[in-house]
Amino acid sequence: MIELGALALRLALVAAVYAVLAAVAGARLRRTDVVASSRAAAYAVNGLVVVATAVLLRALLQHDFSLEYVAAYSSSTLPTQYVAAALWGGQQGSLLFWTLLLTTMSTLVHLQNRDRNQALMPYVTTTLMTTAIFFLALTVFVTDPFERLPVPAREGADLNPLLQNYWMMIHPPSLYLGYVGCSVPFAFGMAALVTGRLGDVWIRTTRRWTLFAWFFLTIGNLLGARWAYEVLGWGGYWAWDPVENAAFMPWLACTAFLHSVMIQEKRNMLKMWNMVLVLLTFTLTIFGTFLTRGGVVSSVHSFTQSGLGPFFIGFLGVVIAVSVALLYLRRPLLRSENEIDSFLSREGAFLFNNLLLVGIAFATFWGTVFPVISEAVRGIKITVGPPFFNKVNTPLGLALLFMIGVGPVIAWRRSTARNLRRNFTIPIVAGVLTGVALLGAGLVGNYYAIVCFSLAAFVIATIVLEFYRGTRARQALMGEPPATALVHLVNKNRRRYGGYIIHVGVVLAFVGIAASAAFRVEEQRTMRAGDTVEVGGFALTYKGMRQADNPHVASMLAEIEVARGGRVIATMFPEKRFYKRQQQPTTEVAMRTTWREDLYLVLGSYDQESGLMTLQAFINPLVIWIWIGGIVMVLGTVVSVLPTAAEQRALAAALAVEERGLAVWSE
Amino acid sequence: MYRNRRFIAGALIIVVAVGYLIYTGVRETSVYYLTIDEFLSRREAVAGEGVRVAGRVAADSMQWNASTLDLKFRLANFAGSGGVDVTYNGVLPDMFAEGRDVIVEGTYAHDGVFRARTLMTSCPSKYEAEVPKT
Repeated sequence: MIELGALALRLALVAAVYAVLAAVAGARLRRTDVVASSRAAAYAVNGLVVVATAVLLRALLQHDFSLEYVAAYSSSTLPTQYVAAALWGGQQGSLLFWTLLLTTMSTLVHLQNRDRNQALMPYVTTTLMTTAIFFLALTVFVTDPFERLPVPAREGADLNPLLQNYWMMIHPPSLYLGYVGCSVPFAFGMAALVTGRLGDVWIRTTRRWTLFAWFFLTIGNLLGARWAYEVLGWGGYWAWDPVENAAFMPWLACTAFLHSVMIQEKRNMLKMWNMVLVLLTFTLTIFGTFLTRGGVVSSVHSFTQSGLGPFFIGFLGVVIAVSVALLYLRRPLLRSENEIDSFLSREGAFLFNNLLLVGIAFATFWGTVFPVISEAVRGIKITVGPPFFNKVNTPLGLALLFMIGVGPVIAWRRSTARNLRRNFTIPIVAGVLTGVALLGAGLVGNYYAIVCFSLAAFVIATIVLEFYRGTRARQALMGEPPATALVHLVNKNRRRYGGYIIHVGVVLAFVGIAASAAFRVEEQRTMRAGDTVEVGGFALTYKGMRQADNPHVASMLAEIEVARGGRVIATMFPEKRFYKRQQQPTTEVAMRTTWREDLYLVLGSYDQESGLMTLQAFINPLVIWIWIGGIVMVLGTVVSVLPTAAEQRALAAALAVEERGLAVWSE
Repeated sequence: MYRNRRFIAGALIIVVAVGYLIYTGVRETSVYYLTIDEFLSRREAVAGEGVRVAGRVAADSMQWNASTLDLKFRLANFAGSGGVDVTYNGVLPDMFAEGRDVIVEGTYAHDGVFRARTLMTSCPSKYEAEVPKT
């Protein structure tokens, strides 16, 4: 069985190489049959990778410890769902999983475009399959998931306990879907560059793919934050760890791209910039995979640990070199047909929003690779931690929040004073009033947080105003009742109003992040049974220790009675677990979440002899709004991804123009 | 062309702002990141400064007082030799144990003791269990 998996990967590599050669040859020679064979080869690659993944999954589920991967990342007592999740729990498996997602998306893209984008598709195939070749070559030659142990292990080493929870089951797949999704717009961008068909067809064709990738990147980031918050037990959700940055940077670039393509669609501008952004996004996803798997930055052992570093650097080098060369060659065709007329225009606002997003991405990148750079330049490793990222990204983030309010409502081309007054008077008043009210309520000290809340009020006001005016206009025009008018309004232009809903989600997340960063309360106390500690209005009484035991884990639970205003409101059980297989303790946080704050308890340590227990208590205000913001973003994306009739017509029209200009290939 | 130039100026403002933030951010928050061997060879030079040191917790060196949360251990190199005494007060990270690779951040004083403010263990995804090959 195992041999079948290894064989499938090798065949897939061969098929992928064929797909690339046939696609290029077919396009050059204008032979539809050859192009069709490259498409068939791409399908075959997908099928073979599915087989290989199935073989590995089967080996995991059957506890075949003769396989190194199975022995390293699972055990016979590991619950089944985590055994399945071990598929992406280790390096080899996660690269195979990447390949599976990539080739599956390639299949979808090919099916979708069977009868359209004739000119672009061969080069889309080329790009996607070249990426597949890279990952397949890694799994075949460098880090083989089907490597056997010389002597089968009797038992597996188990999956790292910190990865044994449900967030870890959905977070990596979601992030990988996002990463891999970015390769579709990239492939079309490359195809557009090669063929010189630089109109907006490639952008309209991939709009939904970009949104899809963005959607999963967003969810992936939030789930990762949620996982860190719930599992790592240090009281926060984001530590600017290289692995977190690895997921954050492509998200920023992808967000910038999503916005700037609108300018190209509407005004035929920023073609070059869009190409740069799609290239940047793709490169950052590869770089992100490299950071998570290659261990270049955070690990002490640097490159040597996995040996993957040089391959990733090499691939990134090729991608960047080819793209830059193409951009240079196509420079005349990428010139804008229009100019930006004024700062005070939607084009201007979008451009600044883009620069801010890229600026944040750059700062994050710089901070992440700073140790490597300083070592190369000065011969000594210098590192920056969370304070650096917070210091740099907070002001940039606030400027971005302001642009979220401005961008969607400012007029195209040039705003008049009247337009500005009409759109911004009420929001500015709302923002200023919020700021004054918060200062008046005695919320002084953290000015960044107050600025954030004021800007949040400003943005929300612009959005509410948009919905209100749109609904009123429909009511007047169509004589519809308010609710119907609102539904029709959104339905008529899902992309726009879906976007507004996403923005509401982003604002909620901003508020949650600002509040929990600025007003968090933290207390650490060593206690005896019966002791009480006061934290931010809560009285926490330690009642005693409970113990539990099963073959997989042993655990200790501290019973903490929570009272507020003299009334007992909850009993919480922060826990320490001891995973027997790996001889490793883990912390299980106890949390009580309300709209206002999370009470977050950690059992720091427990000494059996003296009976002393150390409790860490955190009060994190408004954290729930970050997750609610995430759900709102999900809803907004769903709204904006649903196609409208008008948009289908626009794509069909663009395609028709494109096909008319295309010489019909000989059969 | 004139308008374009104005736009480039606007974009430059953002670029300069980002550059300035990064520059001051690095200047104010960066710390040396040394392996234990590098640290040992220049410890007097970095005494009193914030520094981050990567090493391995030496076997049989860990003293942990659960009631005061005082921790003492020897941070050795990856061969398990040499090292510096480290003190720390606070809750231990779960992954912290003798023989594990850790990163300490704090200051070294001339009395020969490294006072750690933070103890870091590597991200869990980096812990790739070693499977005995024989």
